[in-house]
Amino acid sequence: MTTLEAKFEDLPTDYAALGGRGMTSTIVSKEVPATCNPLGIHNKVVFAPGIVTGTKAPTSGRISVGGKSPLTGGIKEANAGTNFAQKMARLRIGAMIIEGKHEGDDYYLLKVTKDGAEFADANKWVGKGLYSTYKELFKEYGDNVGISAVGISAEILGAMSGICFNDPEGLPSRYAGRGGLGAVMASKGLKFIIMDETDAPGVEIANQEVFSQGIKKLMDALKEHPVTQPKGGLNSYGTSVLVNIINEAGGLPHRNFSRGQDERAEKISGEVKAEEIQKRGGVRPHFCSPGCIIQCSEVWTKPGGKDPVGVLEYESVWALGANCEIYDLDAIGELNRACNDLGLDTIEAGTTIGVAMEGGLAKFGDGKGALKLMDEIRKKTPTGRILAQGTEITGKVLGVTRIPTCKGQGFPAYDPRAIKGIGVTYATTPMGADHTAGYAIAPEIMGVGGQVDPRDPKKAEVSRNLQVATAALDATGYCLFTAFAILDIPSGLEGIVESLNGVLGANLVVDDVAVIGKQILDVELEFNKRAGFTALDDRLPEFIMEEKLPPSNEVFNVTDDELDSVF
Amino acid sequence: MPIRVKFFGDLRKKVQPDIKGSLPLKFNIDPDGIERISDILDKYNIKEDEIIHIFVNGRYSGLTKKVKNGDIVAIFPINMSVLYKWYFKREEDE
Repeated sequence: MTTLEAKFEDLPTDYAALGGRGMTSTIVSKEVPATCNPLGIHNKVVFAPGIVTGTKAPTSGRISVGGKSPLTGGIKEANAGTNFAQKMARLRIGAMIIEGKHEGDDYYLLKVTKDGAEFADANKWVGKGLYSTYKELFKEYGDNVGISAVGISAEILGAMSGICFNDPEGLPSRYAGRGGLGAVMASKGLKFIIMDETDAPGVEIANQEVFSQGIKKLMDALKEHPVTQPKGGLNSYGTSVLVNIINEAGGLPHRNFSRGQDERAEKISGEVKAEEIQKRGGVRPHFCSPGCIIQCSEVWTKPGGKDPVGVLEYESVWALGANCEIYDLDAIGELNRACNDLGLDTIEAGTTIGVAMEGGLAKFGDGKGALKLMDEIRKKTPTGRILAQGTEITGKVLGVTRIPTCKGQGFPAYDPRAIKGIGVTYATTPMGADHTAGYAIAPEIMGVGGQVDPRDPKKAEVSRNLQVATAALDATGYCLFTAFAILDIPSGLEGIVESLNGVLGANLVVDDVAVIGKQILDVELEFNKRAGFTALDDRLPEFIMEEKLPPSNEVFNVTDDELDSVF
Repeated sequence: MPIRVKFFGDLRKKVQPDIKGSLPLKFNIDPDGIERISDILDKYNIKEDEIIHIFVNGRYSGLTKKVKNGDIVAIFPINMSVLYKWYFKREEDE
């Protein structure tokens, strides 16, 4: 970005088998000084589609984005499902590295085609919301491009700024949200990337027969499993099917992590949302990227089917809803719209509003008050600039002591006092508090065996194996939700491995999944060590150990030794 | 004090086949003849493979879990098995 030059380079041989998180974390680890300022000239933003992304492999339209996080100070990988990923893969671009830093206040757009990449002035969109901007960009560049963007919050270098991608309707609703990578992209002077796959050669497949056999096995598993099949749980209700389940488990955080259960949660459940979308003429089910069997996505709208927002995910509904005591889907929908429009990570925005309410900037339950806080960011006021830095900074500024963060990143939608295993993952993942870091193939597949009590604190091994498996899956391009099917139907996991072999011309076996995942995690942990992280950073905030969570009245009582034994 | 039961999703149709809306179905049952979760399922002709998550007073539970007056029981149908189930162990009773 320093000289506004873009060039293609051949993929080094030792990168050839990498994809997604494996690619981004390897490049970040090798090329970014671990102690650099995340918003300075030495940090980089790396985009990489998964290994099978862009092929006919089902449910595989994922893109990873990596860099050093301004929120956590450590390595970050965030991923999203979007056709942008598929277009990039079909252009045979294994990774895109944004480096340097443009001097001055100008913002740029980078257009990528099969013939090269060129910059254009993007200043006319500075200060504008992404909904109107995406409409204008699609009008200017054609309906068939993919668009990545950063929003107004990134323009003020807010550490809760995500990197936005388009959904199939062209809405700015698919986010590589976590960790503030949007601020890193904006810090370099880059506002948009347009991915135009016209005349793209497509993904090279080394062994078509093995590949076809693999994706057939996976498709069969996805269509057979009750969670992933058409009209299954995710397809019918979306990810918000978890609202009622986690609430019943006493682990759905309400009112800034002060309770684990509330009767009102049922008003914002996936079941209620699905019914409401049908009434309004929204879209459900819906895919985030073409070729998905599961189709857990949706298009939420205002009453009457007007003003589509995009998907309201479980985490978003929780963060902007229950966590702020807002049990009104319309209010949550408008808050989610504000996040998408401003370029915010919905989880971090929700946990930030939660501590802001705790600190008196708005009242719990006040949806309009929460929207006013979003407007502070839009107007780039001093209050907005504080809020845009996320949960931890906002909480400290307001004198709040119940700040639900680890490594500076807001907790997702599972209270670690009720579900202690996920607390171990929040504490120890190199990503900062992150639910997806331990969401993957079951420990049984990894050879651990057995299950564990959610309130039994011996969770290190389970968390480690989940993190290893997730890291591997994040490299493939397959959505994490394939894990439900491949857990219960072993031929599904075989199919994933065969599809990787088909693309790469490799001879991987199922046992190699753990090796790949471990390698990725080792790279990430080593980066964080160089960045100055120690075991003391793998700790949850004091209130999680001290304040009992009603109604179970549990605290997080996993010992430091247990946490330190994860890695 | 009866046992408080919540059925979610399609499981609600086992009690009210023509049920409308999407909120969970909540009802009380007389504890007479109900010793364990499996007895509740039998009462409504629900097969084991039709359900997935059972919570008794917020504790993740299995079919042999004993229930008593005042307990709150939440049961989810098989297509709602979306959960970090690897972090959970079903509580059972002898």
